[in-house]
Amino acid sequence: MSAPAVGTAVGQKLQLAIGERVLDRGLTLLAVQNPGVPTFACSVLLDVDLRDERRGEDGLANLVGDCLDEGTSRRGNTALAAAVESLGAALEGHASGGRVQCPAENAGKALALLVEMLTQPAFGAREVARVKAEILNEIRADEEEPRTVAALRFRAEVYGAHPYGRPGRGTARTVRAFAPAQLRAFHARGFVAPGGIVAAAGPEPVARTLDLLEHAFRPLKGRTIDHPPVPAPRPAGARRDVHLPMPREQVHVFLGHLGIKRTHPDYYALSVMDHVLGTGPGFTSRIQRRLRDEQGLCYTVNASISAGAGEEVGTFSAYIGTSPEHRQRAIDGFLEEIERLRAEPPGEAEVRDVHDYLTGSFVFGLERNASLAAFATRVKKFDLGFDYLQRYPALIRAVTPAEVHRVACQHLHPDAMVVVSAGAG
Amino acid sequence: MILPKVHEVRLDNGFRALLVERHNLPVVASLLVYEVGARDERTGETGLSHFLEHMMFKGTERFGKGMIDLLTAKLGGSNNAFTDNDVTAYHFSLAADRWDTALEIEANRMRGCLLDEKEFAAEKSVVLEELAMGEDDPARMLYQTAESLVFQVHPYHHPVIGWKEDLQRLDVAGMRAYYERHYGPNRAFLVAIGDFDLKTTEARVRELFAGIPPLAQPRAAALQEPQQKGERRAVVRFPGNIPRLALAARSVRVGEADDFPLDLLAFLLGHGKTARLYQRLVLKEQIATDVVVANESRLDPGVFWILAELHEDAQPAEAERMVRAEIERIALDGVSAADLRRVRTQIRAGFLFEGETVLDLAVKLGRYEASAREGYRLLDRVLPAYDAVRPAQVRAVAERYLAPDSLTAVWSVPESFSLAQGTRRSKAARARR
Repeated sequence: MSAPAVGTAVGQKLQLAIGERVLDRGLTLLAVQNPGVPTFACSVLLDVDLRDERRGEDGLANLVGDCLDEGTSRRGNTALAAAVESLGAALEGHASGGRVQCPAENAGKALALLVEMLTQPAFGAREVARVKAEILNEIRADEEEPRTVAALRFRAEVYGAHPYGRPGRGTARTVRAFAPAQLRAFHARGFVAPGGIVAAAGPEPVARTLDLLEHAFRPLKGRTIDHPPVPAPRPAGARRDVHLPMPREQVHVFLGHLGIKRTHPDYYALSVMDHVLGTGPGFTSRIQRRLRDEQGLCYTVNASISAGAGEEVGTFSAYIGTSPEHRQRAIDGFLEEIERLRAEPPGEAEVRDVHDYLTGSFVFGLERNASLAAFATRVKKFDLGFDYLQRYPALIRAVTPAEVHRVACQHLHPDAMVVVSAGAG
Repeated sequence: MILPKVHEVRLDNGFRALLVERHNLPVVASLLVYEVGARDERTGETGLSHFLEHMMFKGTERFGKGMIDLLTAKLGGSNNAFTDNDVTAYHFSLAADRWDTALEIEANRMRGCLLDEKEFAAEKSVVLEELAMGEDDPARMLYQTAESLVFQVHPYHHPVIGWKEDLQRLDVAGMRAYYERHYGPNRAFLVAIGDFDLKTTEARVRELFAGIPPLAQPRAAALQEPQQKGERRAVVRFPGNIPRLALAARSVRVGEADDFPLDLLAFLLGHGKTARLYQRLVLKEQIATDVVVANESRLDPGVFWILAELHEDAQPAEAERMVRAEIERIALDGVSAADLRRVRTQIRAGFLFEGETVLDLAVKLGRYEASAREGYRLLDRVLPAYDAVRPAQVRAVAERYLAPDSLTAVWSVPESFSLAQGTRRSKAARARR
């Protein structure tokens, strides 16, 4: 076990105490102290997700995650739920781990239930069959929802054979075929300590929370996961335009292409670019101002490349929900604004406004203990450093209009846009 | 005790401010609540409250078009608004050293919204797109249909976003008249929570809001909904394959005596995996994928909701029979003290989670102030009120409010569903459509 490293990050007036402890078996524990709120939250992110599904296993990671809280070797699903509810807690499993939140006084008991769920899931035949039926219903509901239909097809067009190109829920065919033994096998090879990150936030001092986590997570062991090779995403091609007609009032349009990883050095410049181009508060970005505020084409519109950046390459994607007669006008509007940003740098004042927004607003993402746990996980996963809150304002303010112009030219490709829509028209 | 002390400021023009110091983070949330919502709209002007909320971001003489959003962004904060049946509310989240700007904007746009004709036309398109988005949402259409059946006289009958035909006809003169009728200091109050000094803030509130003249007319009472004397039913057709069910009944005002046992009943029926309807419909019978139960108390008597999303091959009639059986079981057999202990724990935890952010806390305080007879002071007695509820009271409200003659049942069913037979049409019949 490594020595505990406790850093204090300061953003504006914000004091944030974060501690880290890396266990010998490769599990990283993180603790954040938030003295002001009497709640506790813990998030577990293991080194497993849908990229670890093998051929024919589309949707298995999602099914495993959905079945985790359906009972353990110690108690059935209702008994587990009763134990959780008696603590005033909320417990949830997902494809890469799970999370719990509760009143701070119940942190120890809630953590024990989280660990029991993660390490001893029962995957009983009746429960698995029921959850499969629920997922099949969700797949049918997705097929009826034009925004989801368009989003899934967009990802398939952009990613090709890469796992992110397929629906996380799998297909009706693959989900129907899963047996509990497959869930147990996936869980055994993926829900292991090496590479995992456990992050907790609550009112207790960092060292005490780390002790609590170390004690609670003793049962989580296992060997390093052997990840299957991941196919590369589809290379960018010529512009493609797909429309999937459905009898609805609106049409939902996605437009974009592959983006960047979170670790890309242009991430901060692209974050600023996103806020000039298509995201941010109110209608301050160019696309929101033009398509919603001035032209009244929609209620929802946005565009971003940094939002999807993760461990793998994300997407640049722009979205609008509009009436079918406005579809082409909206697409033209997106493309013209992208071209405008590639043609000339934004103004100094425009970029300075984005600096002010980004450097002033990040504190609001840290009010909840669940958000603090997620923040600590992100800091660790992408190696941002515990002084990230201190460094972030400088990283953003270093982005100049010329930089925004450069990254727009380098990362936005109007000629290779995939356009997918579903709904009316 | 859930909140630290609320400092109440009352101005001569009727404006109130509820101020709460909280110093754990250097942030402040402000919420300006206008006591006007869909409930206050006249026939033919439905949707005006919500549409006006959009227009309040379109500029004043001092803060021109786009300036409210731009200023908020430059200050590193966020703003938004919401409209419901009873209120229209505007909120800002800003760092503590610059939140004063939110007060300036709110004071200025209380009477100074420009309501420019060109902006009105552009925003009407946005609102109509928002309405179209809702029409594509089967859950929203189910909810709206049920609400329009539950209320046949009271203005809760109308959707908050308005009827399409009304929205299309609205003009800027009508909106201006509505704005002048309802937006004033004696129809509004401020909630501010965060890292500020009470004395300085009170002085600033007085400086900015005391000079705004009050409205001549107080808020009008809404028409009372007569007692429902028999079950109401409707069917909504929707493309797709997923059937959905809504059972609704009129409930109570916020903070009335029966509000608390009804909340406990809602939790017992539908909150968490141990809840009775989840156990029966989702786990045991496997006819539904999800069940939501909520006691939506309002300024005037609200709605008790039971909503279920069913499996593709499920029969709505069968699901409805099961829901009714579970209600009847509580009405006949009652509930246990252990049941109540469990849901009280969940409710207490919910209050803690809502208290994590200053904005959530401000919204909660604002809802109580706008809707409860004793206003924000309800917060001081809400948890003791849940503790005081006995099992017999839960049984009594189930029997009284969810009696068969008080219920409204709406099914959202696929176009392929045959009402005559209560089943799907045959494959051949479906193929002909």
